[in-house]
Amino acid sequence: MSIDNTTIQDQDDNNTNTNKQLRKISHPPALRIIPPLNFCPVEKQLYRSGQPSIINQSFLNELNLKTIIWLASEEPSDDFLEYCNYNDINIEFIGMINEFEYDQQRLQNPWDSLTDSTIRKALQIIVQKKNYPILISCGMGRHRTGTVIGCLRRLQGWNLASVSEEYRRFTGARGGRILVELLIEGFDINSVEIDLEKAPDWLKVD
Amino acid sequence: MSNNKQVDTIINKLLNEQEERETKQPSDKQVQEIIQDQSTSKNLLKTNPSTQKSLVPPLNFSLVEDGIYRSGFPMPINYQFLQKLKLKTIIYLGDLSIKKSKDKNKNGSVDILNNYLKWIDTTNIQFHNLLIESSQEPFNKLEENDQALKSLTIALQLILNKKHYPILIHSNKGKHRTGLLVGLMRKLLQGWCLSGIFEEYEKFAMGKSEYDLELIELWQPELWIDDNDKPEFVRT
Repeated sequence: MSIDNTTIQDQDDNNTNTNKQLRKISHPPALRIIPPLNFCPVEKQLYRSGQPSIINQSFLNELNLKTIIWLASEEPSDDFLEYCNYNDINIEFIGMINEFEYDQQRLQNPWDSLTDSTIRKALQIIVQKKNYPILISCGMGRHRTGTVIGCLRRLQGWNLASVSEEYRRFTGARGGRILVELLIEGFDINSVEIDLEKAPDWLKVD
Repeated sequence: MSNNKQVDTIINKLLNEQEERETKQPSDKQVQEIIQDQSTSKNLLKTNPSTQKSLVPPLNFSLVEDGIYRSGFPMPINYQFLQKLKLKTIIYLGDLSIKKSKDKNKNGSVDILNNYLKWIDTTNIQFHNLLIESSQEPFNKLEENDQALKSLTIALQLILNKKHYPILIHSNKGKHRTGLLVGLMRKLLQGWCLSGIFEEYEKFAMGKSEYDLELIELWQPELWIDDNDKPEFVRT
């Protein structure tokens, strides 16, 4: 360990004496970018957010997305579909209304929670490196996105209190839903198949 | 006196009842019912103890960008989690410091700091103890504000060099001072719009904001970057 209590004076000296390649930054980047609602990085090249709109395009461009996991019960806006199409981004629709699941669980209402099998389907995409960079998104980026991220955190071995702290950070003023937290708590993490050779590095156990 | 006696009888009665409950075993039939119940409740709470780990991230922990994390003050319960991040640098923005520790030991905070420093000592992490007094607008002294700006400039310089990555930025609760630095980074290095920055700040600060948002909006330090060591997310 080394303790650094550098003063700004030292830094200035370093800058002038040792290195001529330094470039001065005296203003923010000229083009301002606008993150989507509830945007946050989750892990390397894995992001979460609410439904992006047209004003978020230059922000999204920076992420070089390959896959979007769309968890809302309804289709995203045409603008967004067009954007994904134009940029060759693959959208995985998971959790749409009336989509039949192999275990016959069916989502019928927009306010229904995800089911165990829809969560598993989303996680099965997340545990494969070839799909990255990934954005996980639903209408507001709160509950459905939070459910999948919560289950991912359990898969990573996080304790439940921290998982729930993270979920609630994104739920807005009305707070978290107990049903979402129960779903996360009860999800069988052993039902997700992980091929370690094809998994992203941060998921590997050391 | 008679009141006391009454209370005693009630307490004894309660104690006896509790003892009875504890010694009473459920009948075979009841056990059968419980098992049935559990198997039909969609395997709720089923966990495999052999794969169960418990990694505890620090308070208000989050990824900021690839190689930059933010959190509150790490405690011993979090060390195992932090070990997995393979940190190279820790930036602590706070009012505790090695120099000041003699005259300030509120709630044993110095002991906590010392314990933390001992843990860092067992790692190869470069620790930067950058002083920022907790902001108590409008009562902060001028020299305290100057010190805060110096510390923030140093922190931003550290972030501008990817050789320092992975970095953990933390303060005491991971709300205000950490949020301030992350907000400055979002604006000055990444060019985020202010409303997006304020939304992110609020997620962690939950209500209180002092004058951090004003500082993010108005302050423009002079920074230097070596383009060979520039992190990918920096857009300047």
